Amino acid sequence: MAKSILGDDPFSTGKSKEGEKKAAERPAPVGKRERERERERERERERERERAQAQAQAQARPAKKKVAKAPTPTKKPEPVTAEPVAPPPPAAEVEAPRAVGEAEATEPAPADDYGPSIDVPPGHGSHLTDELRQGEQSGLGAARVGGLGPQRLGPSFPPPPPAPRRKMPLEFLWRRWREIAMRDRSEVVDEFGRDPHVAARMDPVLEFLYKRWFRVDVEGMGHIPAEGRALLVSNHSGTLPYDGAMIMYAVHRDHAEHRAVRPLVEDFVFHFPYLGTLMNRIGGVRACQENAERLLAQDQLVAVFPEGIKGVGKLFSQRYQLQRFGRGGFVKLALACDAPIIPTAVVGAEEIHPMLSKVTWLAKSVGIPYVPITPTFPLLGPLGLVPLPAKWFIAFGEPMYFNADYGPEAAGDRILVNKLAEQVRQRIQEMVDGLRARRGSVLLG
Amino acid sequence: MAVSENGDRRAQGEGQARKSGLLQGPTAQRRALVKRPPAEGRVVAITGAYSYIGAELARRLEADPRVSRVLAVDVRKPAFPASKTRFHKIDLTMPTADSDLSALWKREGVDTVVHAAFLSSPTHNSAWAHELESIGTMHVLNAAGEAAVGKLVLFSTTLVYGAGPSNPNFLDERHELRGHPRARFVKDKVEAERQAERFARENPETVVTVLRVAATLGPTINNFATRFFMRPACPVMMGYDPLMQFVHESDVVDAFQLAVEGDHPGAFNIVGDGVLPYTTVLALLGRIPVPMPSFLAYSVSQALWMTQIFDSPPNFLDFLRFMCIADGAKAAREMGFCARHDIKQTLEDFLGVAPPLSAAERGL
Repeated sequence: MAKSILGDDPFSTGKSKEGEKKAAERPAPVGKRERERERERERERERERERAQAQAQAQARPAKKKVAKAPTPTKKPEPVTAEPVAPPPPAAEVEAPRAVGEAEATEPAPADDYGPSIDVPPGHGSHLTDELRQGEQSGLGAARVGGLGPQRLGPSFPPPPPAPRRKMPLEFLWRRWREIAMRDRSEVVDEFGRDPHVAARMDPVLEFLYKRWFRVDVEGMGHIPAEGRALLVSNHSGTLPYDGAMIMYAVHRDHAEHRAVRPLVEDFVFHFPYLGTLMNRIGGVRACQENAERLLAQDQLVAVFPEGIKGVGKLFSQRYQLQRFGRGGFVKLALACDAPIIPTAVVGAEEIHPMLSKVTWLAKSVGIPYVPITPTFPLLGPLGLVPLPAKWFIAFGEPMYFNADYGPEAAGDRILVNKLAEQVRQRIQEMVDGLRARRGSVLLG
Repeated sequence: MAVSENGDRRAQGEGQARKSGLLQGPTAQRRALVKRPPAEGRVVAITGAYSYIGAELARRLEADPRVSRVLAVDVRKPAFPASKTRFHKIDLTMPTADSDLSALWKREGVDTVVHAAFLSSPTHNSAWAHELESIGTMHVLNAAGEAAVGKLVLFSTTLVYGAGPSNPNFLDERHELRGHPRARFVKDKVEAERQAERFARENPETVVTVLRVAATLGPTINNFATRFFMRPACPVMMGYDPLMQFVHESDVVDAFQLAVEGDHPGAFNIVGDGVLPYTTVLALLGRIPVPMPSFLAYSVSQALWMTQIFDSPPNFLDFLRFMCIADGAKAAREMGFCARHDIKQTLEDFLGVAPPLSAAERGL
């Protein structure tokens, strides 16, 4: 992976020829797509050879032209005077990018774009490739393609040519270090900071939690639209925000379209050292109105937890009692952005860290809202941070589309907003109660 | 200065009059004199012409046949071959700077003023910095009002939004200018912006454009950000990895050029496309991250700043903990500004090892 980032990139100062040579010497690519392409090219070459032979024969025996033509697969008979040795143009076109050894080179890059991603390792998972490509295009590309072409960008006098390149001191060391440092990250993140490589690396962990540890059962996946915006509103629990990660992973894994859900993360988690950064890299976004509006405007799926910190920090004795739903910001958001609300219930997350008590006086000094006291946590030290393997159920309910009855201006009506928020809360509470009633045992489900 | 201050005091009791803006600023007579920038034979004055942006802009205006004269104002003479550009040495920290400037601009018939005389990095001499940035802007604005200049372009930075835990991912131009607590360097720029805002309200005939420029990198520019990222090792706040945004030096000059050429009143964020996490930026640049726990980092940074070993004050560490990313959509929509370099190209060009842009990308 690192090689493709650094091997054939613009950083190779003045060594492009060597790079090309190396690329040519590289062993045959192993990816499935590559192999297919290779085979196709092989077939094409064979056809060329046949055609050339046929033509040569035709020239040698002009009297028996028709007989010689018969086995050639070409539909139009070539003129007899054509040079048999000259390779036909399509073959040359296919051959040319091959020499560079680029996996994606055969696909024509958009004229405004700056070429294919150098980030894509040959034969890597296709959804990751697509995502990287999309990320690359969405930044500058989108603005350029969307009507603001470079020609409209018009300071009439272009900048002077850039300064000549510099030579780095100890360049080989620097280059090596760069390779190491770039190993587990991608050069392109989306505008909210999701790093496809980090997300892909976290997939096995999430898969383990989802399949083996929590054994999540999901129902109502069909309620999530295949495209377009929607707001997933869920109950919140579990001391640490595992529920957001599980909802995100469930939709990514089991939805027919494998859609990405962007969970809105409350401030204290988002600015929590390491945890917040990790949440951000795998797709979490800081919870605020501006971010949510921007995401919905891009027709994404957004997951919100209106209970916020009151929900995630519930005591075990209050489990599955939904707290106040903030100030109804999510309803305002749905009304203003014309997005349906999908009520979501998570059962099982309350039991992974049963919080018996919480200490606030100590926590405030280190910048977190509370230190949880669970049966395992301070007692077993870091081992206490391992969640208990409760059986989880996630249910996605029937979408509630308020904009059918109210316009976007209803977002200013506070009484109405509160009423609708309460309606959603009731709905989720019912779903939670229903799932709990069906659940036999906490650990086995 | 006296005019606006008196006006301000009077207006305190008369909210209605204040709203109408009639009590303040120049008289109707002087307003009628405001020169619309003509299509041909323009006269552009640049303060801070020795700075990268000032000098580069002057150089590009040199090549523009529609500009007949460029007045470069600074304390040091910019070095580039000039045929239309005349250098005038005026120190903005001097109390007489406003009358000097207005006399000069009246005499030359200046129609556009580009005010770029700002510091590119924090300094220990904060009193002087305040004189130059805040008071200097006041002088420039007063002189611009006096000389009835038709257009004013002001340099600012996206730092004026401040890095904070409650920032949304993309700050647009309507966001409050919080500045940064205890950072003189940012506070002076916020003050300059506030003055420009008031000037724009009082002088509706003058087009006032404020360009809030993101951290600028490039092969030739020398500023706080380039010096920071030139070091072989950079501090990382343990557990924090905010997203960062950069703009290429030539894109900044593009934006100034667009602002000089067209009429775009208001504030605009001038940013490059794309964001990257701080540690990825360091990895791409091949720098060594030095992780520091936050409680230690602030005191270490304070010590290094006090002893003048490092040139970044301790509260700037907040920019390594929290996001401060501006949304460039308005500049793209209204000014037609679209950065030619995205973040990766900017970083590569900053290192000086990138291939030059193709002719098509440079808009030739």
